[in-house]
Amino acid sequence: MKPWTLKDYVFAAFMTIGIAVASAIAVPLTLGIPLPGVRTIVWAPFGGIFLTLGMARLQRSGSVALMIGTLALLLSRLSWIITAFLVISLVITEIMMLVRGGYRSKFNRLLGNVIFFASTTVTGALIGAYTASPGLTQWLSQPWILLPMTLLSGLAGAIGWWLGELVIKQLQRAGKLDVDR
Amino acid sequence: MSIARASSKSPGFLTRVNPLAKIIVSLVITGMAFSVKNVWAMGVLAAVLVVLLMLCITRQNIRQIGQGMIAGTIALLLFVAIGTLLLNNVQAALLYGLRLVAILLPTPLLALTTPPADLVRALQAAKLPSFLILSLMLTWRFLPIIQQESQRILEANQLRGVDISRQPQHWFAGLFVPLIFRIVSYADDVTIGLETRGYDPNATRSMSQPLVWQLRDTLFVIGSVLVVVLVGYLDSVNAGG
Repeated sequence: MKPWTLKDYVFAAFMTIGIAVASAIAVPLTLGIPLPGVRTIVWAPFGGIFLTLGMARLQRSGSVALMIGTLALLLSRLSWIITAFLVISLVITEIMMLVRGGYRSKFNRLLGNVIFFASTTVTGALIGAYTASPGLTQWLSQPWILLPMTLLSGLAGAIGWWLGELVIKQLQRAGKLDVDR
Repeated sequence: MSIARASSKSPGFLTRVNPLAKIIVSLVITGMAFSVKNVWAMGVLAAVLVVLLMLCITRQNIRQIGQGMIAGTIALLLFVAIGTLLLNNVQAALLYGLRLVAILLPTPLLALTTPPADLVRALQAAKLPSFLILSLMLTWRFLPIIQQESQRILEANQLRGVDISRQPQHWFAGLFVPLIFRIVSYADDVTIGLETRGYDPNATRSMSQPLVWQLRDTLFVIGSVLVVVLVGYLDSVNAGG
């Protein structure tokens, strides 16, 4: 396996910035909607573009951890709760993707996106609910609420992956991204 | 951004306290807020945090305090009112309302009193991997620039008569594709800049202003321990209340 280089770290940091900017643009649209997980569902198609780009450029296991770990540290200035659910989601994603051998193939990148955004929605909603009231967590844990939420966020992550792959093609055509396919 | 700006203006006691001590205390208080079951104990914890936050904001802007206090009080009252309706128990609703305050306040308090540079020093002192600190520094440095770039792209669209800021269906082609091209260019430029300066992400780094434990840090830790003990005592004495 190739060692991590300075170029990888810098690229990952800029993808983190992209994910943060996508969140800053998309999330305000949903501030008035009191549905659990809706913010992640709206953020995923745009944040997923940058996550896919990072996965495609870095390709190794640990790519999501590098991008989302930095984002979690950055957002720790807003709330430890955000940091907590992002770290849990990145650990779930990295463990599952370690079995698949990283993010070299398109399918693995799709899987990585779906797992990350689905787990972010679920852990975010549950931790957020527990913070407000433990009773709310019991209500949210019911399958008829949790399952559609997970499926929708997974779908939103898949849209992010699809858009990300489109951008990868454009960047390659412009000679801006060296990705093995 | 306002938090970053605010922290640089505040030369108060908390600002000069060791950032690592503040991070640990903030985590302890957040953890404690989850475990306290008594409304009086939670009230004391929330009150201490609100007072500290007020003291920090007083250094910024009086109007902001007023607006923040009104908005915060309304949000808390709404939360407690809805909680009372759902749980049919005023005391439990109040406990959860105060708990939310105690969980949410330590981080803005930490952010208001810790400039990003101090936080980076604390993370370096905590022996976090150097690549993570590099990523964090780059993110802090370039996030405002990339946000400006996204604003410029939106304005360029507006000049052409297209306002895409409220039209998510046009964001991909109209905003994100040009933004990604700019971001990738920035990433390339920064990499070249760092490489030409011989930057090695794995090399041991030195600090121009190393963290030193001072008397005020000890006082801060003693004060925090006293609050934690008081809250713990109130919680155990009034258990079930």
